[in-house]
Order: sequence, then structure tokens, then C-alpha cells
Amino acid sequence: MTIHLSLMLWAPAAFALLGALFSGGGRTITRAIAGVGTLIALGYAIALVVDYKSGGGQQYVTDRMWIRELGIHYKLGVDGLNLFLILLTSVLFTATTLWSLQDDRAREGTYWLHLGLGHTFVLGALMAQDLALFVAFFDLMLIPFFFLSLGWGDGPRAERAAAVTKLVIYTLVGSLLMLTAAIALAVLSASQSGNDLSFAFSDLQQVTLTKGSQEWIFLCFAAAFLVKMPSFPFHGWMPDGYRSLPLPVLAVFSGVLSKVAAYGFLRIVVPLLPDAAVHFQTLMLLIALASVLYGSVMAFTTTNARIILGYSSLAQLGFIVLGVFSLTEQGAQGAILQSVNHGLVVAPAFFLVGAAAKRAGGSEDIRDMGGIAFRAPILTVLFLIVAMANLAIPGSSNFVGEFLILLGVFNAKLAIACIAFTGVALAAVYTLRLFIRAMHNRVGQRVDSRDLSLGDALVLVPLVACILGLALYPQLALKKGERTVKGSVAAARQITHPPKAAAAARVPAGGQTVPLDPTTGQPVDPSATGGTTP
Amino acid sequence: MQTTAWLVLGLPLLGSILIGLLHKVLKGKAAGYLGTLVLLASFVCAVLTLLSLQDRSAEERQVVFVAWDYAKSVGLDAQVSILIDPLSLLMMCVVTGVSTLIHLYSIAYMVSDRGYNRFFAYLNFFVFSMLLLVMAANFLLLIVGWAFVGAASYLLISFWFRRTTATSAGIKAFVINVVGDVGLTLGTFFIIKHSGSLDFLTTFKGAAKSFDGSNADLTAGCILLLVGAFAKSAQIPFHTWLPDAMEGPTPVSSLIHAATMVTAGVYLIARMHPLFELAPSAGDVGAIVGAVTLLVAGTIGLVVTDLKRVIAYSTMSQIGYMIMGVSSGAYVAGLFHLMTHAFFKALLFMAAGSVIGAMAGNQDLNRMGGFRKAMPFTFGCFVIGGLALSGIPPFSGFFSKDEILLVIGERGGWHWALYVAGYVGAFLTAVYTWRMIFRAFFGAAVPEAVELEGGHLHHAEVHTNPNGGEVEDTDVGFPGPEHHIAERAGEMKGAMSVLALLAVVGGFLQIPKVTSVLDDFLEPTFADSTIQHSSNDGLLVVGLVLGAVLGLAGIALAYRVWVQKPGTSAVVLERFKPLHTLFVNKWFFDEGIDLVFVRPGAWLGRASRNSFERLFVNGTLIGGSTGIVRASSSAVRAIQTGLLRSYTALLLLGLTVVGVYFLVSA
Repeated sequence: MTIHLSLMLWAPAAFALLGALFSGGGRTITRAIAGVGTLIALGYAIALVVDYKSGGGQQYVTDRMWIRELGIHYKLGVDGLNLFLILLTSVLFTATTLWSLQDDRAREGTYWLHLGLGHTFVLGALMAQDLALFVAFFDLMLIPFFFLSLGWGDGPRAERAAAVTKLVIYTLVGSLLMLTAAIALAVLSASQSGNDLSFAFSDLQQVTLTKGSQEWIFLCFAAAFLVKMPSFPFHGWMPDGYRSLPLPVLAVFSGVLSKVAAYGFLRIVVPLLPDAAVHFQTLMLLIALASVLYGSVMAFTTTNARIILGYSSLAQLGFIVLGVFSLTEQGAQGAILQSVNHGLVVAPAFFLVGAAAKRAGGSEDIRDMGGIAFRAPILTVLFLIVAMANLAIPGSSNFVGEFLILLGVFNAKLAIACIAFTGVALAAVYTLRLFIRAMHNRVGQRVDSRDLSLGDALVLVPLVACILGLALYPQLALKKGERTVKGSVAAARQITHPPKAAAAARVPAGGQTVPLDPTTGQPVDPSATGGTTP
Repeated sequence: MQTTAWLVLGLPLLGSILIGLLHKVLKGKAAGYLGTLVLLASFVCAVLTLLSLQDRSAEERQVVFVAWDYAKSVGLDAQVSILIDPLSLLMMCVVTGVSTLIHLYSIAYMVSDRGYNRFFAYLNFFVFSMLLLVMAANFLLLIVGWAFVGAASYLLISFWFRRTTATSAGIKAFVINVVGDVGLTLGTFFIIKHSGSLDFLTTFKGAAKSFDGSNADLTAGCILLLVGAFAKSAQIPFHTWLPDAMEGPTPVSSLIHAATMVTAGVYLIARMHPLFELAPSAGDVGAIVGAVTLLVAGTIGLVVTDLKRVIAYSTMSQIGYMIMGVSSGAYVAGLFHLMTHAFFKALLFMAAGSVIGAMAGNQDLNRMGGFRKAMPFTFGCFVIGGLALSGIPPFSGFFSKDEILLVIGERGGWHWALYVAGYVGAFLTAVYTWRMIFRAFFGAAVPEAVELEGGHLHHAEVHTNPNGGEVEDTDVGFPGPEHHIAERAGEMKGAMSVLALLAVVGGFLQIPKVTSVLDDFLEPTFADSTIQHSSNDGLLVVGLVLGAVLGLAGIALAYRVWVQKPGTSAVVLERFKPLHTLFVNKWFFDEGIDLVFVRPGAWLGRASRNSFERLFVNGTLIGGSTGIVRASSSAVRAIQTGLLRSYTALLLLGLTVVGVYFLVSA
């Protein structure tokens, strides 16, 4: 089947633009046109997943020279790393679109335009197979969300402006560092290999930079991605930023944008900078561990439901980074699966928080909620499923992701895995606390118990069905991704687990290339940490 | 056999989904009968599977059926697969059989509850989870079942979710069980690190080879598995959730917190016996913890005044016996006790539910008395259950408990300490069991009992939560306007009669020197056990006599203290005040856990909000409404935002042009 990625990529933005132009024609037309764009992307995404061949590498590649002088390609492609993230993006944007249809809002044409642009930019960042293109889309992603928050967000406008400014300052610092790093990466690889300048990943992968260059480039990329996720201690923008985004947009923001950062680690940082990844492995694992613990502890002491989910995401993303920087196949595979899982869970969770708040007189404080389970049984069951998936109950796909991640960390660094397990137990505490306070206990003062409306069900039920489907058959995502994921950590694994003969040969030659276990300073023994992989 | 085996697992799930989907359609007792019939069918399938397994030769009685690949990638080999062997079949039959009876009981007991359909949907889901746990053929699926029973248990503990005591008991149970799940998962990591497979049979067959020379990992793995077992089976120090779990409706206590789920730890150790035998020190840990638990729980049972909590502590204590047994190699004996305990403990809880019905929801032993004449049937069930629990011959508990202790005694060495602890525990068991019975059924009849003798069931004017005394919500709470007692409900009576019969005759499966049905049946599963059982006739006779004598002595003591001379207990309390304080406060485990885990956690959250979040997020250091951004005046902000707007507008325009270009050229 021939699938044109460009068509899929630009459809949401193009239709949204069209809708905005025709916004004079009435709300229904604008909505319909914007909806068509989203549905086209969704259709393509489903077709991609069905059609994608598990064994193959990159598929459906579009490659054109964009700016010849700078070696920038317009190159798109799909492989095991981004396949399911693309599907997730389209699913969540579709859900957000459906959800947004429920409310009336001012300047609808512009709202849909920004949503469509957001969709396109996120897809672009995921599909890009060229570093410059990735950086461009990565930065562009922020813009529509900036306007959505400013124009249609919750809370007083002054607070929103402050929150958004903070978000922009944070991200811009990271983005500038990343831009520098990206340029340096391409220029240095070109000069080292003597080839023409090129930003395409496939060309960059041919060259391994010297350790010194790798290290500072790594730090720049890491800063950008850790801010975007966010990860402790770079999450300063998160609580205010989350408070000021409109809920439907927040669902997709938290569900997808953070994943692009996690994906960036696996697409760019680990395969292109393997020595630096090994060098900074312990540092990154510790940051991730801090995220897990800090996010969990904050999540069960906060009372705003939306912020609880924010900190819960902080903890979940900590797990994803743990998986990536275990630098094992299991960890990476788990990180990709968990990215999809978390997106699928957090979006309906925000929806449910919105629904609960609507029934609690508009308050998002869990102290004002409670007791609606009796008259809203369907809503409660859906909330329960989402809550159980969020705390990664065994039997959910989230558990499989967490299992793989922790197994990877266990094989790499035993002590960190043991501490990370605390996060699993804490997740149960804060998620159930949210569920109980929202649904159980005595009926709150201003609470009006109503069950799900048909419109609510239209958004929520398909998402929950996705969660259940993936829970029954996580193998679907694992099988299609396996090959690419293995490739993405292969270079780093070469360093942490050198083949025995090669390891012996490298010792006298370089000395510094012998992998050292950063915690003990001893050379890593491949047989001791090899785990279940040969 | 394949079809019937999958049906055993699938039918309860089907029942749960059906009741859930049809919750608006099913009226009256329809959901109850649907749930019960589905389980009855499941039980029949389990028996059919049993029969077809017995047709095979002994070597072929371990069969694995695979449905689909679950997570088969990067070194994992998890499939949705079930293992049918004598051990899992024993558990399947016990679980489906006892569940069917408890469902039958619930049809009448819960009938006026407004969450009737929800109750049966949850209950069926629980049975599905429990079956998944015992039928799983690999570690991953075992963990799934393990967690699902925890979730079902949470839902049913918090069934009356407008009681804050019920929701906090629920979250406590769930979190402690998640700690157990974590132990199980981490233990699995240690094991697959060497075995390279999640599959049980592959792991066990290659265990001796793959763990050769890495015994530390195996011991660590087994101890972590024990953490899972302790959390699920309420063993010290993970037991504090079980007494609180009595917040759930009484049939739930009967099914989940007595007969099935809490014994999962025993099943786990029996299932993992090839690993535990290679790591004997892990087994010793299990045996010691079991012995300590059975004593501690016995002492608390002596002083608790809540009827259901007495039985809950008794459950803890009895599971202590089982854990002690299977950890010391008494596999068949431990499972035998698991089965008989399921019969008599489920019976005791059902009878307790009947008494609570007569008391209009009150569970306090201090308020009960003299129900003997008003509730003869319930009294009879209590006596049968009490005799079986106290180990009086020829009731079922007598044979199963003594068999565990016999095997432990035969091990010799330091196991003698466990042997002594077991018999001390047996004495305590008899005392607290009969204290409960004498206080509820003997002595002066309370007003509720008198009212019932006159033919009328007592109703409370205002329902209050028995724990805490808050006024009950009218929608969600102790079954509605009517309560039900066994004397007046056919379904309850039927279920209790069957269990009473089983509690009497269940022990005859394994009469020493006469019958050995279970031994023969379970032989294929435990054939690879290296622990040799020496038969010691002298010890056997001593044990049987000692068990019977201690049981009778305990009953006699209870009779003297609570019937003959009712003032005695107060005098004894006065004399042993510090000991009583220790027991009444449940050895201060709750306070200890609160001090070590809960408070530091909450403190950490508050501290980080007050320090880090205040500095970095709300902004004295970075951004925010009070930080540098504000300090550097709003003018700066205006410029930044202004720049950003024009910058983004340009970018958008450029990108659109590029996009259109490619759309056209594509």
C-alpha cells in the first residue's frame, strides 16, 4: 500500500486553515472542515499500523532535499519507534476534537486552526527523519498551545499570561540549547567524516563523534527534552502551565507533547551519542528516579485534581526516562510502550477530572468532590478502569511497559530498580486517593450526581476501549516495534556489553573505551548484567 | 479438557460482564441467580476437567494450554496460558465450589441492598481473578491474577463506599497488596535473570541447573516472593489490612477474606516449591513468620470485641499454620488445611452474618448475648464451625491441623519450636473461638434476641456505622431497610447446611493410616519434592491426642470464664493490664507503620511543597507571579510576548507556504 506521509502530516493543518478562512460560514462548517482534517490523519494512522511490516525497518519514506546548501532534508519516515506514537497522536487529537465540540467558545475558527496546527506539528516532530526538521517541528509545537492557553485557557487572563510566559521561557532556553547542539552535531559529523553537510538521521548515524563533543551535545539535548517532558527539577512551568490550559487541550498536551521528548531520547540521543549516553547513564537514571519519587510524593499531597494528574505524569515520565537510560532493549521497548500507554490513560483521566469537576459545581479541588458513584455508575466504572491503568495494575498494558522498564533497569543497575519500585506502590496511593475522593465517600456540598451523557461517552468510551484492547494484547505494540527499538540502543549496548572478543581487543588499544560501571568504577561484566538477552 | 478448563476461567468473567452490562435490566434476585448459576457451571467444568485429568497417566498430569502471545519480545516469553495439574485443579474446585455456595448465600443476604447488581458483578469478577491466579502457567499471568484479586478485594471492601471507614480500609488493603505485588515482581526478576523464562514448568525443570552457584539470587527471589505471599495472606508485618477489611459486607469476608484470596500465599509457596527447596533459608523465613503470626493473631483474637474481627484474626492465625506448613515441606498437609479451613471459616462468617442481621448491623460482642434459643440453626452452624476450628475430633480441622504439625515435628531440630508454637496456638484458638460463641449465644438474652424469639426481627431506627458511629447513608450502606437471617432465608440456610456438612466430613479425606485421597491426588505435582517424610507413629499418636486434649481444654476454660463465672474475665484483665493493652492495641502494628511510612511520606510532600515548589515553581527563583519575571517589571514581559507573537506569526506563514508546496507536489 502506498501511503503518503506528507498528505497525512499536512491534512489537519490545511483543513483547519480552510475552516478558519470559512469561519464566516457558521460554526458547523468550521467544525466539520476541521474535523475532516483530523479524521484523515486518524485514518492514515490506523492504516499505517495495519500495513506496517513488523520485520522491516523504516517504511513509507519521503525524502527530498529541502535546503541543499545546509544539507537539510524534508525526510519523513515511519518505523517501530514512532509508529504507535503517531497513532496515539491522532487518536488523542481526535478525542480532543470531539470533546471540544461539546462547548461553545469564542473565535472558534482560530481555535480549530491552532488545534489543527498543533496536530500537524506534533506529527511532524514524530515523523521527521532529519535533525533540522525535527528541531523545527519540536519548537513549532509550542506555538499553537501558547495561543490556545492564552486565548481559551482556564483562570484569569493575567495568570494565564504569566504561566504561559514561564512556559515559553523554560522551553525557549531548552530549545536554543538544542538548536545549537543540532547544528554542532551535523557540522562536527560532516567535518569528521569529510562528507557534505547533512542533517538526515541516516547520514548522522554513519559517524560517531569523539567523546568530548558527544558529551556537551548530549547535555544540550537532554536539557531541552527534560524541560519539555517535564522532569524533576525542570518542571517549574508545569503546575501553572497545566492550570492555565483548557482541559481538552491539556489532555493532548500532556498525552502527546511530553512523549515527543521521550521519543527524542530514543531517536536522537541514544543512537547518535552512544558514548555520552553511557557516560551520563547514572546521572540520567538518578534524575528520572528523582522525578518518580518527587512526582509521587507531590501527587498525594496536592488537592487540585488536575495538578495531581500533572505530578502523576511527572512520575510516569520518570519511569519512561528510566527505561531509556537503562540502555537495554527491554528498557527501551518498555519506554516506547509506556509512552503510548501513558498518553492513552492521561487523556481520559483529564476528561474524567473535567466531568467530576462539572458535577462538583466547577471546582477541581478533590475536597469539593465525592459520592457520585451511586448515581453515575457508568462514569465510575470508566474512571475505575482509567485509574487502574494509571497505577499500572498488572493486567494493564501499563504494567507490561513498567515491567519491561524495570526489568531493563534491574539488569543495568539493581539498586536503582529497587528504589524505583517505591514509585509503583506510591502510584497506587495517589491514584486511588483521587478516585476515592472524586467518586466515593460522602456526597460533596455542591455535588450534583449525573451519569455520562452521550457526548461524554463518545469521547470516553473509545479511549477506554483502546486501553482495554491494548491490555489484552500488548504484543501488538511490542511486535511491531521490536526491531527498531533494538537498533536504537544497539550502539550503546555495544559499549556497555561489548562482545567478548572485541572487548579483549579494545582494552590495550584505548583504555578509556572499556565500559566502567559508574557506581563502582569497575569494568562491567557482561555476563553478570546480561539478563535474559544473550 | 481444553474447552472445559478455559470455561472454568471464562464463565465467571462472562457473568461479571453480563451483570455489569445488564445492571439496569436485572430486577429482584435475577442478578444473584445469574451469578450463582454461572459459578455452578464453572464448578461443574472444574470437576469435568478433574475427571479428564485423572484419565491420564500420572506423568502426564501437568498440561499447559496457550491462548495467545501476551508479551513475547526482547527476551520475555509471556503468553496467556493456563497450567492444569492436580494442584491447580484442587484450588479450582475449592474456589468455584465455595464461591458458588457463598453466592447462593448472598442472593438472600444482600437482597435489600441497593447495590445488589454491582455486588454480584464484583463478586463474579473476583472469582475470575482468583481462578486466573491459580490457573496461570507463568509468572506474568500469576502477577496479573494476584493484582486482580487485590483490586476486587479493594472494590468489595469499599462496597459501602459512603462510609469513610470503608474507603480508607479499602485503600489500605490495596496499597499493602501492591507492596506484595512489587515483592512478587521483583522476585520474578531475580528468578528470570537466571532461568530466562517466565514459564513455570520450564523454570522449575531447569531450576537446579540455572541456579547452580547463584543461590544468593535465588534466596533473594524467594524471599521477595514471600513478601507477596505475606501481603496477600495477611502475615506479619503485612497483616494490618485484614481486620480493617471486615468493613466489607459479610459474604465478602467469607469468600475473599477467609476462604479463598487470603490463602493465595499458601498456594504460591506450594506452587514454587521446586525453587523454595533449592533455597531452604527462604523456606525457614516463611515458617518462622507463619509461627509468629499464628501466635500474635491468636492473642489479639482473645481480646477483640468485634464479632467479625475475631474471626478475621482467627483467619490470620490459621493461615499462619498453612504458611508454616508449606514453608517446611508439608505441602499436602498445608493445602489440606487450606481446604478444610475454607469450609469451616466460610461457615463461621456466614453464621456471623446471620447474627449481625439479627442485630440490625451491630457487630459488637459486648452488645450480644443469649441468641441460642432465637437462632437455633445459626447456633448449630456456629458450634460445628467452632468445633472444626478448635480441632476437636472428628471434625475436619482436627485432621488437617495435626497433619501439618506432624510433618513439622518429623523435621526435628529447631522445627520443634514451631511444633510447640502450633500447639500453643491450638489452645488459644479453642479459647477465643468459644469465647465468641459463649458471649453471643449464652448468657442473658439481649433485647434483639428477645424480640426475635417473639417472632419479630429487630430494626434499627437510624442505621449507624458500627465502626465510628456516623449515621449511615440511605443509598449505600448495611443492607437496606430489611436484614436477613439464616432461619428465614432458604438460600442462606441451604448454603450453610452444605458447608456445615463439609466442615464435619471434609477431614475424612486424609485420616492418618486410613485414607490418603489428597496425598495420592497431589502426588504428580509434588513428585519432585526432595523433602522426605519419615513416618513416626509415636509422634502421630502424641500429636492427635495432644491436639484433641488442648482443644477440649480451651473450650472448658472458655466455658468457665464466660459462662460459669462471667466476672472472671474482668478480674483477669485487671491482673494482666499491660498484656491486655498490648493485645487490644493489636501489638501496635498500625501505629508503627504509621510512624515509619505514612507520616514521613506526608511530611516529605509538605516539605517539598514548602521548599522546592515555593522556590522554583511559584517562583522566588524562577518565573511565576512573584519571582524574577515580576521583579523585572511587566514591561519586559510585554516586549517578550510581543516579540514572540510576531516571530511566531512569521514562522506560521513560512510553514504554511512550505506545507502547501509539498501538498501540491506530493
